[in-house]
Amino acid sequence: MRELIDHTEGINRLLARYGVKFGLYKNGTFHEQLFPFDAIPRVISHEQFLYLEKGLIQRVNALNLFLEDVYGEKKIIRDGVVPEEFVFSSSGYLPECEGMTPPKKIHSHISGIDLVLGKDGDWYILEDNLRIPSGASYPMIAREICRQASPETFRNNPIVDNRNYAKLLQEVMEYVNTGGVPVIMTPGRYNAAYFEHSYLAERTDSELAMCTDLFVEDNYLYFRDYRGKKQQVGVIYRRISDEYLDPMTFLPESLIGVPGIMDVYRSGHVAIVNAPGNGVADDKGIYYFVPKMVKYYLGEEPILKNAPTYLPFYEEDRKYVLDNLEKLVVKDVAEAGGYGVIFGNELSREKLAEMKQLIEKESRRFIAQEVIDFQDMSIMEGDEPVPRKADLRAFVLSGEKTKVWASGLTRFSRNPDSFVVNSSQGGGFKDTWVLSR
Amino acid sequence: MGIISLEKLDHLYWLGRYTERVYTTLRNFFKIYDCLIESPEGAYRGYCERLNIPDIYTSNKQFVYSYLFEGENPDSLLSNMNRAYDNAIVLREEISSKVLSYIQLALDTIEAGKSTTAPVFDLQPVLDYLLAFWGCADDYVEMEDCRNIMKCGKYVERLDLYIRLNYNMKDIEKEFNKLVHRIQKTHMCYNMDNLDRLTEMMNRKADWKTEYQEALCYLGGIIEVR
Repeated sequence: MRELIDHTEGINRLLARYGVKFGLYKNGTFHEQLFPFDAIPRVISHEQFLYLEKGLIQRVNALNLFLEDVYGEKKIIRDGVVPEEFVFSSSGYLPECEGMTPPKKIHSHISGIDLVLGKDGDWYILEDNLRIPSGASYPMIAREICRQASPETFRNNPIVDNRNYAKLLQEVMEYVNTGGVPVIMTPGRYNAAYFEHSYLAERTDSELAMCTDLFVEDNYLYFRDYRGKKQQVGVIYRRISDEYLDPMTFLPESLIGVPGIMDVYRSGHVAIVNAPGNGVADDKGIYYFVPKMVKYYLGEEPILKNAPTYLPFYEEDRKYVLDNLEKLVVKDVAEAGGYGVIFGNELSREKLAEMKQLIEKESRRFIAQEVIDFQDMSIMEGDEPVPRKADLRAFVLSGEKTKVWASGLTRFSRNPDSFVVNSSQGGGFKDTWVLSR
Repeated sequence: MGIISLEKLDHLYWLGRYTERVYTTLRNFFKIYDCLIESPEGAYRGYCERLNIPDIYTSNKQFVYSYLFEGENPDSLLSNMNRAYDNAIVLREEISSKVLSYIQLALDTIEAGKSTTAPVFDLQPVLDYLLAFWGCADDYVEMEDCRNIMKCGKYVERLDLYIRLNYNMKDIEKEFNKLVHRIQKTHMCYNMDNLDRLTEMMNRKADWKTEYQEALCYLGGIIEVR
């Protein structure tokens, strides 16, 4: 392992060479930024992974059933398990998807579940990402380079090879393919995750398409080549948000998207990965109800725990939140990427009062959570290891079976005082090793 | 992988052109850099005229810096390399990460060279990376159409520069033959009239010093991309 860590600079140099970057907009200008890699891995034991795998499969299966139900029969609402206010007022709920069943009834093909390891040794789920979770490409390419940097490390440790992510993704896309070429649709190179779009297209042998390359004809989706020939598209792994997918269905003023694609999807002539409308299930407000969904749909006790969460929407919870705000973390359900996260202990007395007023006024807009005292991980700062906060994004792929990728994206904060690990806020990443025994 | 969209065709063609622009102009710059050692101020002007780029420079020294490294100067080596990068970055799955990495290395080398006192030393690897880029493209760009389109861009650009810079007839003819051969292998639309006129100029050994603008006009219109 020491040998691997000694090669940190060289590994980062190669990551730069291969363009492993993410995009950021600062003051209205686009910048590409390297994603700093720390060579000390997160190590997940074999037993721990088996536990996580079971819990994650359970959770994602329940979430998929919830999505099928909520856009269909709505039994969970009728049975009073999830209040309708939380479903229909969610910005992720799309009435346009009502009654739609995606191919093979899979809504969330690629789920990015964010977890942290508490100091008590328990894993806690922080959030579910069921729309277009990104990040798998970084540990994939980092592993490739780490193996070159220190073959001994990988020879002497029983580490599960994580370079099968592209194959898992291909299998999922193939399983739901309605008959045609597989396409990864990107909004373009100025998207924050463009590296990932192009890298996954390369690794999965998919076409990387911009919206303008695709068109709908006779209720089928086609990719047009430069000679004017068209090829039917059977599955599209879209990396653009729901609202920009189809201007005929969602935002008529949008210049991106493929006009008519939702009709093709509705007719079952193309699979969209992940299905539109998933935002209702990864809404921070709905997160509270996921353990209840597990019990409701699967009749099982949830294996993985949520972070203790309060919904100010409920009077009892609201009272607790207002009384204890200074020790809680408050999240705006409409925000993502580490934005809209407010730690009560960092607020001045005035700001605390303002926040309380806002919570009272817009109780549906926020959730509050106990601050999980999660385990620090070591990162190298110069020649010294220093402790930093880190989370884990686990990737769960749902095709013929639901599978957990034996790796994940471990993100860490480079700021010693921060819990925010997002790359857009200066965080770095680590490889995640799962041990095979 | 296997479909080339119109958008990608455009990027492949211009990737070929910009990489070649950087490669040939840098090779020429190395010669000029040597000449500037003993030449009077303003000795770069003829070069600018020949390339038809505006003379925005105030001294030989400022020319060297600005022409190589100034991102705001649209004719600089850095600007042209950035354009090559802009076209390459959207072609990862067509050209592969391996091939793309040489563009990244060339760009990083120019960026890193900004503070150099010996540009010929520090920019030499740019030529090496671009040669590696083309060698690697032959090995790793799986679709023949992609390679052909990139190479069409490369030969159009090379011919354009050779004609502007008054290379000898033998070199120009050689590059022209490569272009014709490559065009015929692609399925791109091309302008047959322009190709015929250029062929006629080649056959009668046109005087490039006086006829270069006409030749460039035909050359610029051969390939019909945006």
